[in-house]
Amino acid sequence: MSLRYLAKKLATLAVTLYVTVSFNFLLFHVLPGSPVQLLARSGHFDAAARAQLVKLFGLNHPLIIQYFIYLKNMLHGDLGFSYVYRQPVTSVLGGAIGNTLLLVGTATLVTIIVGVWLGVMAASRAHSLTDATITITSLGLWSMPDFFTGMILIFICGVWTHVLPISGLVTPGLVTGTWGHYADIGRHLVLPALTLTLVNAAEFSLISRNTLVDVMVEDYMLTARAKGLSRRVIVWRHALRNATLPIVTATALYVGMILGGAIQVEAVFSWPGMGLLIYNAVVQRDYPVLEAGFLIFAVAVIATNFISDLLYQVLDPRVRRT
Amino acid sequence: MGEHATDEFGQHLTRRKFLALSAASAGAIGFAGLADSSAASASSAASTLRVGWTTPPDVMNPFTFTTTASNEILWLIYDTLMEYNLQLNPEPSLAATQTRSADGTSFTYQLRSGVSWHDGTPFSASDVKYTFDIMAKHNLGQAAWSLADFKSVTVVNPHKVIVQYKLPQAFDPSLAIPIVPEHVWSKLTPSKILSYNNPNPVGTGPYKFKKWVAGQYLQVDRNTKWWGTPPAVKSIIWNQYENSDVMVQSLASGQLDILTEVPPVLWNGLRGKPNVKPVEMDSFSFHHIGFNVSKNSKSRGNKLLLDKTVRQALGYALDRSQLVQLALAGHGVPGSVQLPPSFGKWQEKIPRAQQINNDPGKARKILDAAGYHVGSNGIRANKHGQPLSFRLIAIATTDEDVLAGQIFVKAAQAVGIKLTLETLDNTTLGNVVYNTNAPNWDIFIWGWDSGTPDPDYLLSVPLTSQIGNNNDVFYANPTYDSLYNKQATTTNPGERVALVHEIQKLFYDDAAYLVMWYQSKLQAYRTDTWKGWVPTRGGLIYNFTRDNYLKITPR
Repeated sequence: MSLRYLAKKLATLAVTLYVTVSFNFLLFHVLPGSPVQLLARSGHFDAAARAQLVKLFGLNHPLIIQYFIYLKNMLHGDLGFSYVYRQPVTSVLGGAIGNTLLLVGTATLVTIIVGVWLGVMAASRAHSLTDATITITSLGLWSMPDFFTGMILIFICGVWTHVLPISGLVTPGLVTGTWGHYADIGRHLVLPALTLTLVNAAEFSLISRNTLVDVMVEDYMLTARAKGLSRRVIVWRHALRNATLPIVTATALYVGMILGGAIQVEAVFSWPGMGLLIYNAVVQRDYPVLEAGFLIFAVAVIATNFISDLLYQVLDPRVRRT
Repeated sequence: MGEHATDEFGQHLTRRKFLALSAASAGAIGFAGLADSSAASASSAASTLRVGWTTPPDVMNPFTFTTTASNEILWLIYDTLMEYNLQLNPEPSLAATQTRSADGTSFTYQLRSGVSWHDGTPFSASDVKYTFDIMAKHNLGQAAWSLADFKSVTVVNPHKVIVQYKLPQAFDPSLAIPIVPEHVWSKLTPSKILSYNNPNPVGTGPYKFKKWVAGQYLQVDRNTKWWGTPPAVKSIIWNQYENSDVMVQSLASGQLDILTEVPPVLWNGLRGKPNVKPVEMDSFSFHHIGFNVSKNSKSRGNKLLLDKTVRQALGYALDRSQLVQLALAGHGVPGSVQLPPSFGKWQEKIPRAQQINNDPGKARKILDAAGYHVGSNGIRANKHGQPLSFRLIAIATTDEDVLAGQIFVKAAQAVGIKLTLETLDNTTLGNVVYNTNAPNWDIFIWGWDSGTPDPDYLLSVPLTSQIGNNNDVFYANPTYDSLYNKQATTTNPGERVALVHEIQKLFYDDAAYLVMWYQSKLQAYRTDTWKGWVPTRGGLIYNFTRDNYLKITPR
């Protein structure tokens, strides 16, 4: 990988980021609806009190000045001050990002492992009953909206059997030690993570199955078999290596998307993550939180794509040569 | 607490969610074997009250909070000099006694002795003075409205203050003002107070702030040194839900003790569930149709609505009982004047025969008489050929309003008036309606919750001085304004009642609002954990009184 290649990639990255940031700012400020009007809706704020709030949030400046203030503050790591929570945006987002990463991270890991494993199972027994069962079940689960799957799980585990908590991140008011606290979070994590896994594993199982099936009919697979290698070695060592590129691409897209895309699951399970925060911020016109949230989504998408580009270089010599 | 009731029933059971839930109940499979310890969670019923809601609090700053949820919590952490009891009558609280001067301009409060703040600092009259002064002088926050006529507050001795007003006060502002500790807040400048999130509120109230896990729950613990009778509930936890179905399920399965608001369909579903009692009470809220009656030359509303006859005709076209049956599934009372029946004696009762309601024949008659004749397209027009065709807006997520809008369109059509319904999200509707400089809308559907159990708040909404603030229809009537001022400064209850009736009648006849209904407050609680809940107009909790929290006992 040449230094020039890396420099070019990084430059593109910077430009993309700048455009995204500016677009975000504009987008949210041209939305109809003033946040101060919302605060004042309680009715008890009179004109003078409202003017104070406008000044406090810097909304008295023209849009272009607000834009420069925004850029300047961002370069200093200051993402603004939430209109609703009266806290720096960084601290509002901090907790939510952690919660989303916990949920999405766990779910993604399990999804990829389970998905790829199912895909390999199906491909190595292509056109058998196992293959058909895995493919059809995956497709069925994939076609379900995640809030629907979530509701079914809530019904089974929360309403009928009471085996798992169905709402929130922790048990309110529970006082335990550190380990008890983690165990409590873990139990709350099961259902939302399971929902995401059930719905999304299909994406990986289908991609890996189909790529593998293509690879398996290549001549070098026949050669490998002729050399007397076991089926397990052929599939896991030789075929899968050649099928990783589409899986890496899918993972990069998936991680970028799912950061914001877990909104439905977060809403069903009242999981206080990014999706929920952004949804509420839209409703409440909390611009600073929205801008920062979308900035993070953009960074996540751009970064994962950048990483997957680099991974291509490592995984496939052909990419390196072009 | 007063706010536009954009979403009276909290989160609605949308059709999509409903389908998902019923399908789930039909097609589920067993899932045994995993052990559950959550049922036996720390919130054991004997000490903790577990409340469920879908309306999260905003900030714990008693000056600047805007949500009813924050109000609910802060009113347990802070005390006011006077408070409302379970009958919603004012009674002394942090003040042991209150005396009002004969002319109604001066209030003397004898404060309780031996009271201390949650941080141990003794409470004194100077805290009261600080609170009133800072709020009135700098117009700080949600309760400043009540101090519009404020003159001064004098500390007589550490346990006695006199608050004086420029005009007689029918409503005692001390009911609305949480007393804050001077030693904490005087360190902040007024503008800093506005942006302060007050992460660890210190009050004198029956509960101390314990913990707020954002997006999850907020917990307060009993203040063992509180001046009043110690409540039985050791901790109160308000649990935040993003989804009403899940919240209601949690009550049914015993993970919650009480819900602040239950959507009508889910409320009906709770009837007959073991150990759960759904309760229906009067509320301090109404939903209304509002007409743009702005006389501003820049207003882009249809000027034909400035004709009272057209507005009244629309009122006669509409059947309020039908609205209650169809839009609220019966959980409400047909609307007339701007004060809901929960105001009791304050509400003006318009005799049925005189109501502007459900009389399409009369609507046609008065429109004919005013020269609006039906054209070839079935729509009436005035003599200049301007048709009675108006835009109608409603909030898309408030299901009952959208349904009411559809019914209204049909009813108006039957008397020759064309309405075009458009739905908007609630913020957008607010901004369209409150575009004071150039309102560009004709008719909306929205609602109000009263900020106080005193009629003053709802009566103040259509004041000329409220244009640019609460006045959502740009109504401006000097007679109304002077009647309002008169009742606000009349301290003789009998005389004030008469004035309040007169003002409602005037506003009703002007028909700038068509009040559609007064919706019920629907709540539900478990009967196997706490007992002694007293149903009250406005709600068991999430109301102007905190007494249910303080008086329930374990079962």
